[in-house]
Amino acid sequence: MSGAAPDPDVSTTDATGAHASAASRAPAPPAGISRGELAMVVLLGALGLYLLLDAANIAVPGSSNTIGPRFFPYLVGGVVLATALALGFRVLRGDRGPADESEDVDPDAPTSWPSVGIIVVAFLGHALLINVIGWPLAVTLMFALVAWALGARGVVRPLLAGGVLSVFVWIVFVKALNVALPGGTLLELATGWL
Amino acid sequence: MGALGDLAGGLADALTPVNLLFALLGVVLGTAVGVLPGIGPAMTVALLLPITYALEPTAALILFAGIYYGGMYGGSTTSILLNTPGESSSIMTALEGNQMAKAGRGAAALATAALGSFVAGTIATLLLALVAPTVVDLVIGITAADYFALAVLAFVAVATVLGSSPLRGLASLGIGLYLGLVGTDVLTGQERFTLGVPQLADGIDVVVVAVALFAVGESLYVASRLRRGPVQVIAASGPWFTRRDLRRSVGPWLRGTALGFPLGALPAGGAEIPTFLSYATERKLTKHPEEFGKGAIEGVAGPEAANNAAAAGVLVPLLTLGLPTSATAAIILVAFQSYGIQPGPTLLTSESTLVWTLIASLLVGNLMLLVLNLPLARVWVQVLRVPRPYLYAGILMFASLGCYAVNADPLDLVLLLAIGLLGFAMRRYGWPVAPAIVGLILGPVAETNLRRALAISSGDLGVLLDTWFSRVVLALALLALVVPIVLRAVRGRRSTPEELAAGEGLRHPDHGHRESVGARTDGPGGEEER
Repeated sequence: MSGAAPDPDVSTTDATGAHASAASRAPAPPAGISRGELAMVVLLGALGLYLLLDAANIAVPGSSNTIGPRFFPYLVGGVVLATALALGFRVLRGDRGPADESEDVDPDAPTSWPSVGIIVVAFLGHALLINVIGWPLAVTLMFALVAWALGARGVVRPLLAGGVLSVFVWIVFVKALNVALPGGTLLELATGWL
Repeated sequence: MGALGDLAGGLADALTPVNLLFALLGVVLGTAVGVLPGIGPAMTVALLLPITYALEPTAALILFAGIYYGGMYGGSTTSILLNTPGESSSIMTALEGNQMAKAGRGAAALATAALGSFVAGTIATLLLALVAPTVVDLVIGITAADYFALAVLAFVAVATVLGSSPLRGLASLGIGLYLGLVGTDVLTGQERFTLGVPQLADGIDVVVVAVALFAVGESLYVASRLRRGPVQVIAASGPWFTRRDLRRSVGPWLRGTALGFPLGALPAGGAEIPTFLSYATERKLTKHPEEFGKGAIEGVAGPEAANNAAAAGVLVPLLTLGLPTSATAAIILVAFQSYGIQPGPTLLTSESTLVWTLIASLLVGNLMLLVLNLPLARVWVQVLRVPRPYLYAGILMFASLGCYAVNADPLDLVLLLAIGLLGFAMRRYGWPVAPAIVGLILGPVAETNLRRALAISSGDLGVLLDTWFSRVVLALALLALVVPIVLRAVRGRRSTPEELAAGEGLRHPDHGHRESVGARTDGPGGEEER
């Protein structure tokens, strides 16, 4: 099973499912250097450098017979940079991190960048829309887009599910628990009596 | 024993209708999120942190404790009935439990998991009540330097011992420590790493980071390689728990508890190591070796008990030292702090009623969980079938709610997305997330203690090694840092859970746990980390 080409439409479980999936979880043999891993290491090294360099700009007030606000940042920066160097060395030698496991993750599936992209855009959009059209409406649109990106069928059902859930959650948290969450003009008018 | 008297007092407080209600709400919520893949207690508690503004401390902490214990129960249902690899601390349960369910013994597997969780949870919570005052007596006089040493040990242990890749754990820890540094220095009032952004002067909110790394990061990661098609749930069928099952389960339950509680209570704790050890032990002791790998009930009973006992053990360093050793414990620590309470050696005296009510409500919640889980297993199975597109869309909706509720600032949501993308990348390349959370929350505490210690010694670093306590603890931290890296260099890859199940056992029983345990599982602490 684990050797078969992953087919998104066919469930990858069968009578021997557990064993097959267990086998497929064995770490893949290192196939060269992963660019993504290398990018992570470079970013980590950059963070370490930034910590060390910017720590020098922290103002140290007054008497300095005790260690000031710079000491710990230097310590953290040093640890981060050393970790980046050591990890970089290992990654260059072909070491790969085991990708995280989760019940809903298909370890054989190729990365679906469109799904990730749609979710990022949907989330960013809802963040910018909250103060304009209210949380329930903004989050409904995000919900529908995300569900659709993950394979929900149709247009009406995701929108309806998101709408009902968001209005329910809004009423519980705003009216019962007094959380500050803009409801949008319409909903706030409609629930003014609550 | 004074502790028993205090516990009785706590029980009286826990049994008031309001507190019972919050305990019930907590365990129901905890079980539900434990059953749902992709959500765990850490994320749930993080999302619910804003309600600490509305509730009084006792109610909120009882709610969180219920979620913490409930998540353990729910996780076992998922690993037994869902035919897919799951989280690290439930992997051992899944190995045998899944096979039992397939062989038509799902009901018995669920029963031994629930009963084992109850037995282990009850014994371990009682042990917590007995041990906590003793630990407080031992540590009441520790110095700032000692505390710094403990924090270093917790950092190193969370980063290197639990994950599969020590360096990636350290990298994650470094990111957490950095995020904890952003903001205004408490002691001198100087801004650090704020990039001149005024919103960052108050620091990055823990809720934002936790929700981003867990909820948003997990959703993005799952979205990137979602298992398509219908969810395959095995029916919880077959004869219920028989007398024979009981005879075979009792030993593993008790041994699992004996392994789980002490290992969970160490500052280098976590639920992962004890479950692996318990599985290996049961495999060795069983009278039915031929059943292992094909659905041996001992292999479900032992690890489940160990898992729950470890969860109670983790509360020992949290309540007596203020030292979180798992992501969930770290976030519960934040809940304490948001009420202006700092867990530590004085907590048991200064907040005596609160602590004993909390411990007592854990016992009550545990009983509720047994009642909820034994007859209602079928209901939770329905929860397992939630269509995944709606599940992850819903998780993002609650992430938006929890994050926006903190400051009502859309900028927080953008920050949430940015850190969420970091969480996505971390999962993709095998960087564990828990060290970042522990670093973020424990980092500022560690810095304060370090500076306090060095202020007393006027800058002499020797003060860090002044007491035997700090010397021993720092030596342990050094060992925890060096041993996994050396072992990897010497022997290469560690054995995987599958190899363990296939009978290779622990390769080096003498310093055994680490190598066969951490293997292939990257969210340290597993189940409770999501």
